[in-house]
Amino acid sequence: MTNTEDLPEVNGYSRVSVLVSAVVGLAVAALALFWAQGFRLGYESLYRVNPSVEGGGIGADWVFGNTIPALDFLIALIHAADVILGAFILVMVFIHWAAFQRLAGKMREPGEDTSEAVAADGGSPARGDGQGGDGA
Amino acid sequence: MSNLDHGKFTRVTTLFHSLLGLDVFLLFFTGYAIMFNDELWWMLTLMGGASGVTAIHRITGIGLVALVIFWITLQLISSTGRSNFSKILPAKDDVDAFIQDIQFVLGRADERHPSARQFAGYKADEVPLLSYIGKGVVFIFSIELTLLAISGLLIWSKTGLAAMFQTKAAAMAFVTFHGLLGVIMLMGVMFHIFEHGMHPAFYPVETKAFIPRSMVPEHHGDDDEEPDTTGIERLSLSPSWRTVSTIFGAMTVIGIVSVLIGSIFDEGYPVPRELAIGGGPSSILLTIGINLGMVVLGVGLVLSMYGNVLRIRWEQQLERDERPAAADGGEPQTDGGQPESDDSEN
Repeated sequence: MTNTEDLPEVNGYSRVSVLVSAVVGLAVAALALFWAQGFRLGYESLYRVNPSVEGGGIGADWVFGNTIPALDFLIALIHAADVILGAFILVMVFIHWAAFQRLAGKMREPGEDTSEAVAADGGSPARGDGQGGDGA
Repeated sequence: MSNLDHGKFTRVTTLFHSLLGLDVFLLFFTGYAIMFNDELWWMLTLMGGASGVTAIHRITGIGLVALVIFWITLQLISSTGRSNFSKILPAKDDVDAFIQDIQFVLGRADERHPSARQFAGYKADEVPLLSYIGKGVVFIFSIELTLLAISGLLIWSKTGLAAMFQTKAAAMAFVTFHGLLGVIMLMGVMFHIFEHGMHPAFYPVETKAFIPRSMVPEHHGDDDEEPDTTGIERLSLSPSWRTVSTIFGAMTVIGIVSVLIGSIFDEGYPVPRELAIGGGPSSILLTIGINLGMVVLGVGLVLSMYGNVLRIRWEQQLERDERPAAADGGEPQTDGGQPESDDSEN
């Protein structure tokens, strides 16, 4: 484990800047709430629509659909972004998964002699549950 | 023992990360209970039905606005924030790190690039403030959260939306746009949870984002020893890591694929772009997959809380170490689960 003398001197954010930022954040959030909701307290229900119901039904007045090309384009664009970035994120998952396997291969197996092993913070795993970079 | 590595973030950053994580998880749970209401009907019911879900989504949405504005303001008015700006800009090292990660996986590189390395160990001096993944997370999440907050407020304010769109269906298509926008972040967060929960050296959670730099010792090695490696070969693997990381990795992949497919075929709450309402779960596999994705998010929420538990335990450990040394210069005490401290090992 460590001694507190080993702890670094850190120049973080000043209390004043944190306080000012918190006040600004809360004030803007309050303004946004007022703009969106006003002083009205209320709620609205979700309801499914099914304009394909013949002869009307809930949501039948939606049949005209989205007639604004810009919005239609935006949705198509976000669909494309979802697919492209989704594929990229999957690639990153697989790269990290494989990298983790390789890193694990470099580590000591569970139960292996831990007399020279260390925990990630420089402490010793020689006692306890025998794990290195795990647990607390 | 602990799974601490070298700290990078300030106390404010770690606290902000926890609050933002909690807020975003609640937004995901409520938002996607609405968007994928066919597959996540139980979540909708669990959170109080339609009224309860929309109320929680709005309250946490306002929390998101407060957190985003807080962070932007802090980065602008503080010297620490301004000085960090150059450190989060993409650089050539990030491209190199991505390429070297692929080479590492293929066995053509011995180590991960410093800009990709999560476990710094003896080579902490080489590791930048943010890895290339970390920079991607900051940029994508910043853009996403800003757009989601703005579009969410517009949806909330019916008069604001009506001023922009002249038909009800067009206005509600904006809701679809909002939901689809969040899918990128939803998939990214699942990867984020896997990346920082399943690293073999840190499993089950990487504590850098929870334990501030001021509480993590910087010096671990012998002064006269020039390390050749990070020292990961001196760590012992957790007995459960292989099983858990395999199951969780599979769940992450299934979750990402499912919400991606779901967003293509099930965009329709409340009105899809072309008014081709699907209605009902289109496939049992998709239903299972999307629910697995939500389980991955749930694990992330638990790990986030666990990270904070570790921080509190570490704080207590430091206090115990400090107290006897200050009083009589004696040996620091440890709790039952921790190995005894010995400076010579550091």
